Amino acid sequence: MEKTLQVLNALEHDGIISRYAIGGAMAATFYAEPVLTLDLDIFVVLPETAGGLLTLTPLYTDLRRRGYPETGECVLIEGIPVQFLPAYNALLEEALAEARETLYERTPTRVLRAEHLVAIALQTGREKDHERIRVLKEQAPLDSAYLAVVLARHSLENT
Amino acid sequence: MNKATPLRPEIVRLFDASENRRKQLAALPFPEKVRMVIQMQQMVEPILRARGRSIRIWQVIL
Repeated sequence: MEKTLQVLNALEHDGIISRYAIGGAMAATFYAEPVLTLDLDIFVVLPETAGGLLTLTPLYTDLRRRGYPETGECVLIEGIPVQFLPAYNALLEEALAEARETLYERTPTRVLRAEHLVAIALQTGREKDHERIRVLKEQAPLDSAYLAVVLARHSLENT
Repeated sequence: MNKATPLRPEIVRLFDASENRRKQLAALPFPEKVRMVIQMQQMVEPILRARGRSIRIWQVIL
């Protein structure tokens, strides 16, 4: 996975994406027990386009040029299917801005904070999100005061 | 409604051991957990293939 992260860092360095962080099941795995996942969810802030449009097309074009083809909803980067998800609301924008800096072996990367994973799961609300919340509450080092602020800010405290 | 039957002590011990194991897994270094995710992918691949769904096991150096 280190090579995949190096490609993501290169994309950020080259301005193809403004910022990225690992999310989804792999981010949950960072804080809790490993869970099966088939792709790597990467949340991204995209550079502003002229029309303010949220489009992944320039990113996909650049990745094709680097030799990484699309496979369905994902792009295969160094052996890992990566699903790019643009930050499409205020919660995701905040989660990306406050993502935790870490090292994967020798490569710097970012992972969404556990509190934001809980908030995103609450907002998304699927069956597997409820399970993720349960596991994170049980195993992740959650900052309950910080979580309360995030939930209140995004009107999720009663969900 | 049925009343829950109290669990036998040996079953409680098994559940506790399982819970401890999950906490130990949670505390492993991230790269080690990624290796375990890939092992899980390898385990489920034949099952999913038999159901007609093909998956791509992550091709990374372990």
